[in-house]
Amino acid sequence: MSRALAWLYTVGGGLGLAAAIALTLEKIAKLGDPTYVPICSLNPVISCGSVMDSAQAGVFGFPNPLIGIAAFAVVVTTGVAGLAGFDPPRWYRVGLAVGTTFGVVFVHWLIASSLYDIHALCPYCLVVWIVMIPLFWYTALDTWPVLAPLRTVHSAVLALWYVVIVILVLIAFWDYWTSLFN
Amino acid sequence: MPSKTRNPVTARRGVSLNVILTAAVVVVAIAVIGIVLLANRSDDSGGGSNETLRPAGSHTLSQVADDKVTVVEFLDFQCPACASFYANITKELEKDYAGRFTFVPRNFPLQSHPLAVPAARAAEAAGKQGKYAQMYHALYDGYASWALTEDGKSMSDDLPRATARFEEFATAAGLDLDRFRADVASPEVQAIIDQGVADGTKLGVDSTPTFFINGEKFDPQGSTAGEVDRELRAAIDAGLAG
Repeated sequence: MSRALAWLYTVGGGLGLAAAIALTLEKIAKLGDPTYVPICSLNPVISCGSVMDSAQAGVFGFPNPLIGIAAFAVVVTTGVAGLAGFDPPRWYRVGLAVGTTFGVVFVHWLIASSLYDIHALCPYCLVVWIVMIPLFWYTALDTWPVLAPLRTVHSAVLALWYVVIVILVLIAFWDYWTSLFN
Repeated sequence: MPSKTRNPVTARRGVSLNVILTAAVVVVAIAVIGIVLLANRSDDSGGGSNETLRPAGSHTLSQVADDKVTVVEFLDFQCPACASFYANITKELEKDYAGRFTFVPRNFPLQSHPLAVPAARAAEAAGKQGKYAQMYHALYDGYASWALTEDGKSMSDDLPRATARFEEFATAAGLDLDRFRADVASPEVQAIIDQGVADGTKLGVDSTPTFFINGEKFDPQGSTAGEVDRELRAAIDAGLAG
């Protein structure tokens, strides 16, 4: 594993892990006290509360961030092991590629839910969206030979991907953003 | 494991194309988004956006279906000028124009009034049980009994006395008192009040009461309540006619 990829796993996985832990702690605080307002609920648009209370936040029957705690911990561990010299065999990298593919698909379903169903943005969830995309993309590039032609434009693809999400977020909450500018 | 040169993150071959494309994507995106935001900004200058004046979930003391004329008042329940405006102007206005205009009260408690925030909390807590209007009226109709000292000469800072009065108002309005107390203390209610202060500040409110009629700040020329009342009604009539 290249050092750059190992660093991406360590830093990206670490940020995702921190966000998943924060979301889980907020969920626990809210369960203990239903009137609790999460620190990340700033206004009707920037609000963890309404996102955490949605049906999509526990689609598998338990809070989503628990998946994040388990999965991002693996990513961080892989990154740190990579920095220590671990060179994962093919089957391990395929496993990572499958895992990050599940993650990125799940995250995009959550983005769609957040934008078009819940109508709120949760800051911790944004961190997970942001790290999940490069984790998926660079793992896929590293694992699947068929993607080799795209390696020459790897960060352009990533930038385009982010731009599309940013535009969708801007459009979905247009009134809110323009109210900040006026 | 692929060799180091094949790794996408560290790949050197084609880096310049990648960098150029990445920069192009970012620059074009920033330019387009910036232009659209700026164009939008000049479109609706003045008065601020609807969301700032009247966020979703704001209370209304009177509402007309198409919101043809919307009056937003930034008020402080303990401010003597607000109480005077209520007694001399808005109380009658609300009755005379009931159902013909939309009247939105927003919280703008001032630092100089020690009971303004507790009163705003009481009103918002009553709102949680659908009785905002009752508490709003009780607070102003009973102004002297909680906002002023017993001799009626100065601003009261007696929180226990005011709290007892607010709970009497709540009981009279038929509120669930336990729930009312919980709501009064809740951060959610405080957040609504903070939002009012933040929105008011953004709109240039620096004193209370401040009115906005269809997004335009209302600056009365008159000095007596009667004169201001006539100007306010004229502005609303103009909006209804136009």
